[in-house]
Amino acid sequence: MHFGLRFKFGVFLAAFGILASGLTGYYFYSASRTLLVRVAESDLSTASQVLGRGFSTTLDEVARDVRFLAALPEAVQALASKPGGEGEAGQRLAESFAAMLAVHPEYFQLRLIAADQHGLERVRLDRDGRGVTRVTGADLQEKGHYPYVFRTLRQGPGEIHVSRIAINHEAGAHAGQERPTLRLATPVSSQGGRNLGLVVVNVDLEGVFRLLQADLPSSYQLYLANEWGDFLIHPDAGLAFGFDRGRRYLLPDSFPQAGRLFEDRGRHTVVTSTEPDQGEGKGLVAAFHRLPFGETADGRFVVLGLSQSLDRVLGETRALAIRTIQFVVLFSLLAVLLSWLVSRLTTRPLNMIVEAVKGFSREHAVGELPLSRKDEFGLLAHTFNDMQIEIKAHLAQLDENRRQLDHLARHDPLTGLANRMQMFETLEHEMAAMRRAGRRLALFFIDLDRFKEINDSLGHAVGDEVLRVSARRLKGLVREVDTVARLGGDEFMLLLSGLDEVKHLSAIADKVIHALEQPIPAGELSLSVSASLGVALYPGDATTAADLVQKADLAMYQAKAAGRHAWRFHSSPGEGPAPGG
Amino acid sequence: MGRLFCFLLALLLQGGGVTWAAELPVLRVLAWPGYADADLVRVFEQRHKVRVEVTLVSTDEALREKLARRNGGDYDVVAANTAEISRFVDLGLLQALDLAGIPRTRAQARAFRDLTAIPGLTRGGRVYAVPYTYAEMGLIYDRTRVREPPGSTADLWDPAFQGRVVLYDGSGHNFTLAAIRLGLPDPFHLSDADFLRATQALVDLRRNALGFYSLPEEATELFRRDGGVLLFANYGAQQVKLLRAAGADIGYVLPREGALAWLDCWAVTRGARDKALAQAWIDYMLEAPVSAALTERQGLANTLDAPQGGEGQKRLWLEPVEDPERRAALWRRIVSGDTPEKLRKKP
Repeated sequence: MHFGLRFKFGVFLAAFGILASGLTGYYFYSASRTLLVRVAESDLSTASQVLGRGFSTTLDEVARDVRFLAALPEAVQALASKPGGEGEAGQRLAESFAAMLAVHPEYFQLRLIAADQHGLERVRLDRDGRGVTRVTGADLQEKGHYPYVFRTLRQGPGEIHVSRIAINHEAGAHAGQERPTLRLATPVSSQGGRNLGLVVVNVDLEGVFRLLQADLPSSYQLYLANEWGDFLIHPDAGLAFGFDRGRRYLLPDSFPQAGRLFEDRGRHTVVTSTEPDQGEGKGLVAAFHRLPFGETADGRFVVLGLSQSLDRVLGETRALAIRTIQFVVLFSLLAVLLSWLVSRLTTRPLNMIVEAVKGFSREHAVGELPLSRKDEFGLLAHTFNDMQIEIKAHLAQLDENRRQLDHLARHDPLTGLANRMQMFETLEHEMAAMRRAGRRLALFFIDLDRFKEINDSLGHAVGDEVLRVSARRLKGLVREVDTVARLGGDEFMLLLSGLDEVKHLSAIADKVIHALEQPIPAGELSLSVSASLGVALYPGDATTAADLVQKADLAMYQAKAAGRHAWRFHSSPGEGPAPGG
Repeated sequence: MGRLFCFLLALLLQGGGVTWAAELPVLRVLAWPGYADADLVRVFEQRHKVRVEVTLVSTDEALREKLARRNGGDYDVVAANTAEISRFVDLGLLQALDLAGIPRTRAQARAFRDLTAIPGLTRGGRVYAVPYTYAEMGLIYDRTRVREPPGSTADLWDPAFQGRVVLYDGSGHNFTLAAIRLGLPDPFHLSDADFLRATQALVDLRRNALGFYSLPEEATELFRRDGGVLLFANYGAQQVKLLRAAGADIGYVLPREGALAWLDCWAVTRGARDKALAQAWIDYMLEAPVSAALTERQGLANTLDAPQGGEGQKRLWLEPVEDPERRAALWRRIVSGDTPEKLRKKP
C-alpha cells in the first residue's frame, strides 16, 4: 500500500496531538496525585501533633488529680493506721476516689498503696461492670514488686511517676484487667518528707484515645508505639501489644521512614506514604509524632501516628483520572480532526500544482494554479507558471525553425521553387488524386538551351540571374495550384493537374517557350535564352512518377534533338512546332 | 511506570521460578528464625539438587499447630525443644532416626552424644531427635556489689538481696525454680503437696524481689536503673551480652543444683517424603560452618563446641511440666500480689 504525503503528514500530526494531550493528562494527573498526598500528609502531621498535645494535656490533668488525692490528709492518716484499720480516714478517701472515678470514665482504678508490708494496698476502688467497687480485706494485694510502686516511692513529694503502657495482667483488677493501661502515681509523704505510700490511678489507654480521637475524621487511623517501637495501638488490634504475647510488631518494620523517630532524636515528626505493595500491605499516608512521655530526665517517649488510606486520599483523583482520560480522548479526537484539516489545507495546493504539471507535460496546456496565494505555495505556482510560459515560447521558436528547415529541404534556395524531392512528392500525391478524380495531369520538362555556355562565358552570377528570371517567368505563367520546380542545373518542371482536356496544352507549351525566350537583362547585356520542352501525361504515358518524369525528359530530348527551342509531347497531341518554325 | 516494570519483572521471574522449581524434589523444613538462613539453605540445595521450603515459626504454639495439621504430613524435618519433641513423640508425629545416616552426630560434644541422658529424645531405645542448639538459664550478678559470686538457685531467696532480685515473669520456670530451691526430686512434676510448698516459696521469692520482667530489655532496665544486683537470666547468654553492652560489670554463673536449659533438636516427621534427605539436612546442620554460623549470627550455643562451664556442669533440660495451666493460674495470682492467706483459699 502506498501512503501519500497527506496520509503520513496527517498520521504524524495526529500522533503528535495524541501524545501531547496524553502526556499533559498524565502529568496533570500525577501532579495532582502528589499534591493530594502532600496535603493529606500535612493534614495528618498537624492532626497528629494536635492529638499529641491533647494526650499530654490529658496526662497533665490526670497528674493533677493524683496529686490532689495524694495531698488529702486522709491519705496520710490511712497509711499511718494498721492494715484493715483505716477506719474513718479510709472511708473518706474511698469516697474521694469514688467521686473521681465517677467524673472520669477513663479511670479504671484508684489505689492508696503502702510503702511497707510489701506494697500492700490500703484503699482500693475498682471500676467493674456495674460501677465502682471498693476492694477490701484479704482481696487487697501486695504490689511492692511492681515498678509503679517502687519507682514512685523513690520520688520526691508531688513528683509524678508515669508507668509504661502495658496490658494489665494483675489478677482481680476488675474492668481494667487484660486492658491496655497507663498508671500515674505520686508519693504520699509524711510531714517529715518520708514517703509513706503512694496514690496510683490506672488509666484506660483506649478510653483516653477514644475521647481524643472523637474530634478527628473517622477515616483517620491511630497508631501508638512505645520507645522500642512496639505497637500499643494499631488499627489491627492483633498487632498491638504483640510483645505481650511473645511476638513483637514494630512500627519501623511497618513504616521504615518512621524509624528515624527512634534513632534521630532531633526529629519530632515524620510523614510517610507507603504504596500498596510495601510496608503495611496497603497504600497509606501517615504522619508520626514523637512525644515526651513520663519523667523527662529519662528521655522516654511514645510515638503517635495517624494514617489515612491512600485509596481515600486519592478518592478524588479517581474522578480526576476519569476526567483526564475523557479530556485526553477528546483532545486526541480533536488532534485527529485538526491534522486531517491541516494536511488537507497544505496538500491541496500541492495537488493542484501536481495536476498542472501533469497537464502541461501531457498537452502543453497551462492548468489552474494557486497563483492567488501569498505563501510558499503561491511562489511555487508563480515560478511554475513563468516556466510554463518560457517553455511554450521556446517550443514555438523550435516549431518555426523546423518549418524553415523543412522548407529548405524541399525548395531550391536559388529560385525558391520546389526541388526534386518536393516535386516527386507532389507528383505522386497529384497522380493519386487524379486517378481517384478521373482527371488528368501534365508534366512539362523544361531545359534551357545552351545554358552551360552562358555559365562558362559570362560567369555563374549571370547564370544564376538567368535561372532566377526563368523561374519567375514560369511561376507567372501557371495557376496557383500548379507546381513549378527546379530539378537542378537548368532543368525545370511544371506540373499542371486537374485537367479535363489536353487540347490547351500545346498553347501552354508555346506560352512557356515564348515566355522564356524574352530577353533577360544581365548588366549591360541583354541575354536571350531559349528552352526545349517535353510533356508527358498521366494517365496515358506512365503509371509511376519516375516513369512519368522519364517520359517527359525523353520528350524534351526529342525536342532538343529536333533543333532546340521547341516542344514535344511524349505521345499525342503530337509535336509542337519549333518557334518561328 | 516503575511499578509496572517491577510487576512485569516479578511476573517473568516468578514464571521462570515455577518452571524451574517443578523439576526438583522438595524438602520441607519447619524451623525457628535463624536456624535456616537463605545462604545456608542455598548450599544444601545445590549440593543435593533439591529445593528447600523453609517455614519459620516463632512460638511453640505455632509449631504445634503447624505440625499437627495433617499429622505432620506438611513437613519433612522439624526443629523443636526437648519438651516439644517429647510431646510430638507421644502424638506419633515423628519417626525414629537412623543415626548412621547422620554421621556428624559423632562429632558433637560429649554432653549431646549420650541421648538417653537427655529426657524426651529417646523412646523404647529408639532415637527421635538430635540436639542442635541450646541455652542455659544462669544467674547474673553485679560484680561491683556482690562480693561472693552466687552459686545456688537458693541465693534468689537470700534476704541479703531483699528488693534487689530481678526475676522472670513466667509460671513454668518459676515453679521449677521453687522446686529446685525446695530440693524436690523432679522439679518438672509437682504433687499437690509440692504445689502448696512451692506457692509459699514463690510468695517469699516475690517479697524478696525487686521486680519481674518479660523482655530482656526490661530486665536490663531493672538491673541498671532500679538497683537490681542478682538476676535470673531466662534468656541466658543473650542477656549477658545485652547487659554488658549497656555497660554493666556483671558475672554469670550456672547454679550448682543444675541450670534450667532448653535444647532445640532436629527431628524427622512421620510423613516425611524422603527420610534420607531429611537426615542429610540434619547432618548438614551439624557441619562445623553451619553450626558456627548459628553461634556467630544468633548468639546461640551449638552442640559441636564443649559447653561453657564445662562438661561437668549439670543441666536440667526442660521437660513438659505436670500441669502448665495450674502453674499459670497460680502464678498469675502470686505475681498479682495475693497474700499467702488468700492463696491458701481456693480461688
